[in-house]
Amino acid sequence: MLFDLYFVFRVLVFPGFTFLFFFTMFCDWVERKIEARMQNRMGPTFTGPGGILQPFADVVKLLTKEDIVPGGAKKTIFRIAPIISFSIIVFAISFLPIDGAAIIPNSSFAGDLIFIMALITIANFFLFLSGWASANPYSDIGASRLLTQFLGYDIPLVILALAPAFLAGSLTIASIAASQYLPFIILAPWAFVLFIVTLQAELEKDPFDIPHAESEVVGGLETEFCGGKLAFLRLTRDMQIVFGAALVVELFLGGPYGPVFFGFPAFWYFLWFVLKLLAVVVVTEYLTCLFARFRIDQVLTANWKVLLPLSVLSLTLTVAVATWVYPLVM
Amino acid sequence: MGKKKKSSISPMVKALLSNLFKKPATCQYPFVKAEVPEGFRGKQVYDINLCISCGLCSRDCPASAIEMVEINGKRRPLFHLDQCIFCYQCAESCPRNAIQSTKIFELATTDKSSLVIKPEEKAQKENGEQQ
Amino acid sequence: MSQKETDILSILQAKFKDTTVQVQPQQLGKVAVIADATTYRDVLKALLEADEKTAVIAITGIDLGATLGVFYHIRTSTAGIITIKVEVPKEEPRLKTISDLMPGAAFDEMEVTDLVGVVFEGHPSPGRLVLPDNWPDGVFPLRKDAKLDNLQFKPTPPSEPASPGNEDIVKIIIGPQHPALLEPEKFALKVEGEIVKDVQPRIGYVHRGIEKAAESRTYLQDVYLVERICGICNACHATCFVEAVEKILETEVPPRAKYIRTILLELNRLHSHLLTLGHAGLEIGFETLFQYFWRDREPIMDITEIISGNRVISSGMTVGGVRRDINEADIPKIKGMLTSLRKRLPFYKKVYEDEPSIKMRMKNVGTLKREDALKLCIVGPTARGSAVDIDVRKDEPYEAYGEIPFKLITYNEGDTWARMNVRMDEVEESINIIEYALDNLPTGPFRVRVPRVVPAGEAVNRVEAPRGELFYYLKSNGTAYPERVKVRTPTFANIPAFLATAIGSNIADVPPNFVSLDPCFSCTDR
Repeated sequence: MLFDLYFVFRVLVFPGFTFLFFFTMFCDWVERKIEARMQNRMGPTFTGPGGILQPFADVVKLLTKEDIVPGGAKKTIFRIAPIISFSIIVFAISFLPIDGAAIIPNSSFAGDLIFIMALITIANFFLFLSGWASANPYSDIGASRLLTQFLGYDIPLVILALAPAFLAGSLTIASIAASQYLPFIILAPWAFVLFIVTLQAELEKDPFDIPHAESEVVGGLETEFCGGKLAFLRLTRDMQIVFGAALVVELFLGGPYGPVFFGFPAFWYFLWFVLKLLAVVVVTEYLTCLFARFRIDQVLTANWKVLLPLSVLSLTLTVAVATWVYPLVM
Repeated sequence: MGKKKKSSISPMVKALLSNLFKKPATCQYPFVKAEVPEGFRGKQVYDINLCISCGLCSRDCPASAIEMVEINGKRRPLFHLDQCIFCYQCAESCPRNAIQSTKIFELATTDKSSLVIKPEEKAQKENGEQQ
Repeated sequence: MSQKETDILSILQAKFKDTTVQVQPQQLGKVAVIADATTYRDVLKALLEADEKTAVIAITGIDLGATLGVFYHIRTSTAGIITIKVEVPKEEPRLKTISDLMPGAAFDEMEVTDLVGVVFEGHPSPGRLVLPDNWPDGVFPLRKDAKLDNLQFKPTPPSEPASPGNEDIVKIIIGPQHPALLEPEKFALKVEGEIVKDVQPRIGYVHRGIEKAAESRTYLQDVYLVERICGICNACHATCFVEAVEKILETEVPPRAKYIRTILLELNRLHSHLLTLGHAGLEIGFETLFQYFWRDREPIMDITEIISGNRVISSGMTVGGVRRDINEADIPKIKGMLTSLRKRLPFYKKVYEDEPSIKMRMKNVGTLKREDALKLCIVGPTARGSAVDIDVRKDEPYEAYGEIPFKLITYNEGDTWARMNVRMDEVEESINIIEYALDNLPTGPFRVRVPRVVPAGEAVNRVEAPRGELFYYLKSNGTAYPERVKVRTPTFANIPAFLATAIGSNIADVPPNFVSLDPCFSCTDR
């Protein structure tokens, strides 16, 4: 009985769904504020103290709008796809140790790194389906670009994620996070840099944000969505960013583990996790502000001609260095 | 050779970081009022005592925003601010400088009848003061 | 008259000595040529042979009562405008097209067909340009006897499929409402994969009939009307119009007014260039650059507010001078703001040179070769980016430009990157011009009184708007109202450049390409 309550609490409230929901909005606010300050303007200021309630206000506003399904769209897929992709991402996050243990207790298993990567691909695929199901040429173009981009960039992403897996000697995220006496960003910095770049592409942020390129494809795959479904799509995108940053934290920055000063270790693990995640969010936002948007053929060139060979090289380098450095460090 | 390579990094890299710590360039209107210079073309103010009813302001208005109406037996201009383009040709055409500009620019309203400058109010006010 | 001008005049006089063509020097520009329907093409061919930079500026259609006048305004590389006047009878308004000699004239001819009713035989793509598709046949708005009440509109024709039988070709429509465009126009791209095969433009969504409206307002009211053709280059429209009126009146404007007019014109140019540079950043997805440029545009609007009372539409010009003087006490403040803007410019230059993603999106995009730019009669920074050195401020100095030293900026690459760099360098030149003008402001009156009624006559005039050469043709008939006001705006002349460079490029290259010619559709449609 007690175990059931604990399970429900962890999954639904903290650090589960409710916490993730509000945390995503908090990260969205951080992103927007940082982006605004870098561009010499103010960002959200007046909704709530310092504008912190702005993302929440956006979601509430979208939920109050009329929800239209276009006549020519494939209605079932149009209605369900955003919700499915959102749920898959929430499910994927629940495998990451946030306060020292995964959200769903005792859920980590050997190889769940690959499992999570597969889940992300499926979530992106459902995003593509939502764009494809709208009867709109702009959505078609946006969705097909999304497909090209994430399928292409998945491969270097997985190869680069194998570097910390190799250093930790396991494919379980919890073990990778736990075995970082020295964070892997120091042991394999090349993998970290390339991973951040590939993550930018996977999350569709500048310079790789073609699927959302306003000036070319109006709204991309989001064109026909409005009301509650658009809120889900936006939340999916924001949660993807949180997921990507969380993955970086787990794989390269030592996960939630850090010095514990007093009291509950779970509290300190959670605090370190949040701080590291915010740092990664700031870095990715900085990269977003720094570049213009690439053209689709430049994105594909960057993937197949640059990132893929470099990721293979990084894995090779990690293996070579590890057999030499590993005994000195561990 | 080394110096040339360093200068080929886009200055945007540093600018983004330094702007994080600078004050934003936004003027927080309406909490901070915008300062308007002298000579700003805002809402008109019309002095009925100087008016000689020549009607040149109405004739020259490019937007047809001035209508001559009868007040106490004399023709006076009635300004329709919802048509007005604030070019101040009326002020220029007036031979007696009866039309002046002010710095009032916050004219947005939901009540269209407030966007009219009526000459009669001024006339009554003058009569009231004289009494 | 310079040596080259005399040559053109003597070439024309020699060639058409014993023909029905009359050559009149110093009329309507530098030379007016009265020709008829059979000889005007020979005049054009003579001009093309004499000078490679000959281009058509505008084609005016005018209702002359029993006949319809078609005036070809031609620009040569010397200072002058050469006008070829042709008249056709109203019952049989037909002329042969000149778009085989000058492809850039195609748009102008379509507009004359729409608004006045002259049909050009042999036109490559006849159709409606500024009027809507369902406009009734036979109603030509610019004719004096046009009945514009109770129009019976035709049913709108259905849109055609992309390419019947070929399923690879997809039709992507940019506009009329599209985030890439600031104003509504429609460009139907026929796309195969990611490559653009064909572009069909349709302009006229913002056609407000300003040329017709100008005929029912006095000259004084028209100054404000033409100012509102475009929000950003408003001072240029006003200046061009009042200069044309002053040419008919033969009034000389006092020197202080000329300098103040120059300052207002250069402020327009600064505003426009900074806006475009920011907008280009937005099109390529570089939001940060957009925010930075627009932050630096704010002081320009503040300066305009100090000088003229309004942030954007300055309303500073009037026939005979300027409407208000510059206060000497404001000058140090203005110069301070310009100095801080000048300090920001090296940062932007460096960003354009060193930022790799800008170069990836802008270099070799929308390349226009010099010969094409000359053939299509392109004007403004779009042409100067392709090594064509035309600038009205240098070719035919007006206002105070003859006395103020400044550089003419050209770049050779001809792509989007070059055009943006032209604009950035012109920002610096504009700051130089304004500072020089403020330092050397002559004393004296800033306005002379002019009569309200303008005697009969006609004049042509052109100024360098931020986007290129702006051209006005004005005809007065001795009443208080003008007979005909013809406006040819620079974006109207530059759209063929976009059509030529978009074909064969990527879809993703279309927005930066488009923005680099700085489109202003309010100007285009009037």
